[in-house]
Amino acid sequence: MSQYKIIFTGPVGAGKTTAIDSISDVPPIKTDSTATDMTKNRKKATTVAMDYGIMNLDDGEKIHLYGTPGQERFDFMWDILTVGGIGLILLLDNSRADPFQDMKFFLDSFSGFISETSVAIGVTQMDLSSKPSINDYHKKLQELNLKPAVFSVDARVKNDVSLLVQALLFSLDPGLEDE
Amino acid sequence: MKNKNQTSLKVALYGMDQRSYKMMSLYLKGPCKGLATVVNETEAEIDLLDADHIKARELLDQLQSKTPTRPIIILSLEEIRLEGTIYVKKPVKMNDIIAALKLAKESLGARSKKNKVTPIKVVSEALDPAPVKKTIEEVAERKQAATKHIDNEEKNKVSKHRTARDLTESNFSAYIGNIEGVDFSDSEQVLKASYNPKSYFLGYVQSALKACKANNRVLKLNSSWKPLIIFPNTHEVWLDAEDKQLRAFAGLAIKNNGAKSMSLSPIDQDVSSLNNKMEGFYDIDHFLWKLAVWTSKGRYPDNLDINKPVYLVQWPNFTRLVVTPHAMRIAALLIEEPRTAMNIAKVLSIKPQYVFVFISAANVLGLVGQARRQVDELIAAPEVKPSKTKGLLSRILSRLRG
Repeated sequence: MSQYKIIFTGPVGAGKTTAIDSISDVPPIKTDSTATDMTKNRKKATTVAMDYGIMNLDDGEKIHLYGTPGQERFDFMWDILTVGGIGLILLLDNSRADPFQDMKFFLDSFSGFISETSVAIGVTQMDLSSKPSINDYHKKLQELNLKPAVFSVDARVKNDVSLLVQALLFSLDPGLEDE
Repeated sequence: MKNKNQTSLKVALYGMDQRSYKMMSLYLKGPCKGLATVVNETEAEIDLLDADHIKARELLDQLQSKTPTRPIIILSLEEIRLEGTIYVKKPVKMNDIIAALKLAKESLGARSKKNKVTPIKVVSEALDPAPVKKTIEEVAERKQAATKHIDNEEKNKVSKHRTARDLTESNFSAYIGNIEGVDFSDSEQVLKASYNPKSYFLGYVQSALKACKANNRVLKLNSSWKPLIIFPNTHEVWLDAEDKQLRAFAGLAIKNNGAKSMSLSPIDQDVSSLNNKMEGFYDIDHFLWKLAVWTSKGRYPDNLDINKPVYLVQWPNFTRLVVTPHAMRIAALLIEEPRTAMNIAKVLSIKPQYVFVFISAANVLGLVGQARRQVDELIAAPEVKPSKTKGLLSRILSRLRG
């Protein structure tokens, strides 16, 4: 049986672990540990290896949900993670100093994977910091000649995460229908 | 794999917890092809410090005093240039760390040839430690200050941040209500089912919004119903009404008497009393979208030509909007290239009314436009090629939709 994956990426504290938790059928395997570096200012614990969850499909197939390590020093793992990936969910924390820089960084880092698959972007913490707006993100993306879905997301809310993943799936094939 | 001819550099790691330490050890061993091996600090030839560690400054001080001859490689997200140290920007790229290790090795070799007895301080002795500390402290401070102002009031605007309502074909009719005079099961009637947004509350709200933005001030839209307050700067509206009341009002064509009661008035008095009804605040886009859905009820806005292709400027922010049936599929299709409404309905095998209601709502937010290029009309939009993994993707979709 093939290994199918959806990759969740984004900066520290953007909600990757929580988002996987929201849609996983099993309690996700977390590899969080006490943050010791720059992440300490933003959250007490951070993902140092990867998060992992599973979505069980009706036919017994499993979709593996992987969250990339939050600390950028481990980006060498990203290439390994994306092998066999269906697509990319990029979560951005709107309360960070420069979320556009974050966005560009991750889009650049995963550009090869995105060009082969697709990406959907979720912006978290918009209830805490409403600027930049979703339209602002689209303007920046147009400069990069990209038109992905960009949604406000509360990673704790299953419906938000579900809609974001659905947007990714429809980006891959607009003709999709429920089975 | 390790190159048999190369000698592995002995590196000590600092500023990393146990897991990070292990990870970096494996990284040096694997992707960096064994160019360096992690050892304890007494055996090390080179020090490798994570300068984003909360105690990076202390660690650097210790390294400089305890092992002043060792080259130091500094990893950091922000550029730190310290004399005698080798900087590697995070995220660490394999080529960068290999280059840094080679540089450190050369530095070791040069020193060994030059003077085997007198140690050469890698971090210049002439350099005042204060600026060194300051550089790292400044970076740390900038990171501390990176968190933006948190608006606690914003959190109380629950309607504004509520997740989307996802409508299916089965509950769509119940949500939008019926419209008299149109039989959507009759394909001919569907094509003629257009409406003029200006004849409804929607049109007045759009006009009021323009006035607010032009004057850059808070205005109240008065009507025969409830007042609507528009806040252009925060992109919000305030309305004290339940959805079912708004739905009923949205569907009524406003005729002469109703039109006369429509007026705009400035809000000069204090609006702090609205803070007691924070649930009345809506994001303007969410409000307009919902209003357009209830005004359209599956009809096409007559300011667009149904026979000409439309394009989608960007994906709507679906998690904060009402997701009408097939809206995501329509958006995914239309973002690729312009299509007519009927072409979309055909390609996706869906009823035109679902396309019309999406176009109505997206049009109100300025997200769709009529394609003006002649080529868009002359060249038929291509069929959608199904993905190779369509079956799998469909099953994931079903699972997500429960």
